[in-house]
Amino acid sequence: MISLDTFFFILASGILLGGLYALMATGLAVVWTTLGVFNFAHGTFVALGAYVAWQVTQSIGGGAGFLLAAALSVIVMFGIGFVLHYVLVKPFERNTNLVLLAVITTLAAASIIENGILIGWGPRDKQITPPIEGSVGFFGASINLYDIVILLVALLTLLALALFLRRTSLGRAMRAAAQNREAAELMGLNVSMLFAITIGLSAATAALAGVFTGSLRFISPTFGADPLMKALVVVILGGVARFTSPIYAAFIVGIAESFSAYFLGLYWAPAVLFAMMIAVLLIKPEGLFGHRSKTL
Amino acid sequence: MKYAPPFHRTNGFLPVLLALFALAVIPLVFTDTYIRHTLILVFIYAILASNWDISLGLGGVVNFAHMAFFAIGLYSYGITVKIFGVDPWIALALAPVLAIVFAALLAIPILRLEGIYVILVTIAAAQLLLQIVVSQSDYTGGTSGMVLLPRLTLGDYRLSSDGRIGYFYLALLLLAASTIFLYKLERSALGRAIKALRDNKYYAIARGVSEGRVRLLTLCASALFPGLAGGFYGAYLRVASPDVFGLGFLTMTLSILLLGGISTIWGSLIAAFVITILAQLLGDYGSWRSIIIALLIIAVVVVYPGGLFAALQEAWGGANRLKTNMLAGYRRRAQASVRAAAMGVEDRLVETRHGRVSVCDTQTGDKAILFIHGNSSAKEVFRHQFEAFRGDYRVVAFDLPGHGVSPNADPEDDYNVEAYAEIVADLVEHLKLGEPVVFGWSLGGYVGLEYAASGGPITALAICGTSPVNKYPDDMPRGYIATPHMELAGKRFHSPSEKTAYATHTIGMKKGLEPLLWQAVWRTDGQAREQAFAKLKTIDWPRQTRLMRDGTLPFAMINGPRDPFINHDYCRSLAYGDIWGGTPQNVGDAGHAPFLEDPETFNAMLRDFLNEVETTRTANVPRETTGAGRAASDPSG
Repeated sequence: MISLDTFFFILASGILLGGLYALMATGLAVVWTTLGVFNFAHGTFVALGAYVAWQVTQSIGGGAGFLLAAALSVIVMFGIGFVLHYVLVKPFERNTNLVLLAVITTLAAASIIENGILIGWGPRDKQITPPIEGSVGFFGASINLYDIVILLVALLTLLALALFLRRTSLGRAMRAAAQNREAAELMGLNVSMLFAITIGLSAATAALAGVFTGSLRFISPTFGADPLMKALVVVILGGVARFTSPIYAAFIVGIAESFSAYFLGLYWAPAVLFAMMIAVLLIKPEGLFGHRSKTL
Repeated sequence: MKYAPPFHRTNGFLPVLLALFALAVIPLVFTDTYIRHTLILVFIYAILASNWDISLGLGGVVNFAHMAFFAIGLYSYGITVKIFGVDPWIALALAPVLAIVFAALLAIPILRLEGIYVILVTIAAAQLLLQIVVSQSDYTGGTSGMVLLPRLTLGDYRLSSDGRIGYFYLALLLLAASTIFLYKLERSALGRAIKALRDNKYYAIARGVSEGRVRLLTLCASALFPGLAGGFYGAYLRVASPDVFGLGFLTMTLSILLLGGISTIWGSLIAAFVITILAQLLGDYGSWRSIIIALLIIAVVVVYPGGLFAALQEAWGGANRLKTNMLAGYRRRAQASVRAAAMGVEDRLVETRHGRVSVCDTQTGDKAILFIHGNSSAKEVFRHQFEAFRGDYRVVAFDLPGHGVSPNADPEDDYNVEAYAEIVADLVEHLKLGEPVVFGWSLGGYVGLEYAASGGPITALAICGTSPVNKYPDDMPRGYIATPHMELAGKRFHSPSEKTAYATHTIGMKKGLEPLLWQAVWRTDGQAREQAFAKLKTIDWPRQTRLMRDGTLPFAMINGPRDPFINHDYCRSLAYGDIWGGTPQNVGDAGHAPFLEDPETFNAMLRDFLNEVETTRTANVPRETTGAGRAASDPSG
């Protein structure tokens, strides 16, 4: 069928994809479980994060520039996400139609960000220069060193996020607000601000994913659409029962995408993913790793 | 009970006719191709958005694969015409069929799902379709799409000739057909089932609405015209590209739907004009155009969720209030002599805590009778009683706020039965009526009951055309016969034919005979009708029935046997402590307003009742204090 090194090469690229998807999908899932809304601007957060980082690397080159770019991008996106909560979700958080209204406002926000990027940076493709070169052998397949770094950083970020949500008082407050809003408010928590921090954190992880994706591929103003769809597939597939559910699902999706792209062709790979997602929704709407519950 | 008048009897008929006429004439006046092209796009967007309303608005099924119906129509036209060489007209007819098949397939996965999951699955389904279209480039042209699709011809005549005039009228025809379809669907049994399932799913299922079947039909119905429009789009632009799956197209259509207002057919049509023309005007600004439209969506959703149609209705309502108030002010001065001739006494404005009301008061007589008229009527309805009783009694009647020649009042505070009862109390106090006999007709009957039950000074109470209610709203369908005219009683905007229907059913007479009352229906503030009915639920109904059951207050019910509204069997079945004649009385052969239709018989009966009250009062002296004693014994009074 295929040689072993090809197999491992596909597997490795699938795992790398999975790491990026996990970073994108976790942010989406955290917002969903905390605020109960689905953020359709999440993909454009990824794109905007990548553009902010690109802008910084244009003036400061090298590894230091990249680190600074990534840090700035994460901070800027946290701020944008924080503010957007007050514009897009807060005005009708008590409305019974919250889900639909949030879909509409976040779609509109996505349109604004996308066109804003187009105005600010123009339509031409851009790429962030990867800071690390070189490759290592992996069961006969040659893997870029930078890919491994990305995977490790992505997993460490998610681990840090998980620890933040479980161990720190702010993280606990956020989970409390997600589980029982009224009770959290009665305890004196500023739920609106906790929700804004949640969207901010989600945008920050999206920005990090954007920086990595932008250093692996070309970025263009419309490049947020693909991460959004992938994150959506991952979240549906894995469910949001636990913090880790979308992470497992992200690796399944990444590997499935790599293999179907190899065997069925590039155009069919997304179709396979969407078919998988619809099948899961039909059989187990709460996701592969889920039981219906709403907690982080 | 349903109330569904034919379209030509509603308020919307004239504006729609005018709009249709204007649209049909525009291309003849402006021969510019660009204007026609813009309007064709408007029509297509209007079809897409208004049909999306079936699933999203009426059905509450947030189907984000709606644009896929259009895309399927487009591609099926392209493929059948270009690859299989089918006749363009047959291909156009085939386009909606395929869209409906896809809608039926889509209904299967979303049957078990709710809320956000429906959105996600439909997005996924649309994306899946897009991937298939892109991957099958042999048939669909892949990412670059299909070009040079055959155009539509009638014989040898190309629809694109003469500045696309043929396409313009075909698009207009499609829009008209789609709108008629939507209008009929919303009022059909299926339309009501769709709405019932949205508003109260489990109740609807319990009443025999099949969720699966109705959802399937909802999606199929919403796919019909978008599929057709897709085919038309292919024939018109002669291009099929995967852009129609894009978020931009979806956002544009969604913004039309939202700006117009969800669950209104007309809103999307109006918004399609506004947004498409705005988009064309902003065409030079490129990306700023999308940003402005997106900001507009957010602004509408956050600031004015009802959309354009709600704004239009509000403006219409405001104009209506202004008009009725000015009409009342004008008539108060200009027609004072006409009213004085009918009533035998001039009316004047009296201040109450719910604004000023117009009062007719004969001034003379020891004992007072106060008449309270019903919904959308006026005090002149009692003119025969003024004539018959003014010799022996002080006869008083007034126009409720927003009725007759009383000015309009605050809809929130002043248009409800409790407020009306407080007005009665104020009048009794200001005019020094002592303990009057109160007669209430229809809605006024509830006002009289409420006034007595709240402990106002009163000697006796008579009601007419009113079914007492113990448990609201359960007793409403028991107490009243379900007729379409009941719906009119609480409806804000009446069309001219609805006003006629309402007037003839309430006063049982033709137009020429009662000009004052006829005018009163036209004058009534629509908010008064709407609010009085909307706030029925706040009334303390058991307090009213307790009053009748206790029998401490002399009480009479004098109805018309041919009353089209009240259920006489229900009225007879209630428990009365002391009702005059032992049971509700009937007047001759009269309808809802016996005192107007058969005044001799009615007046004789009312006089009998008044005499009996008088006899008991004089025979039984402690009765003098009944009012106060009863009020004290009533804990809620």
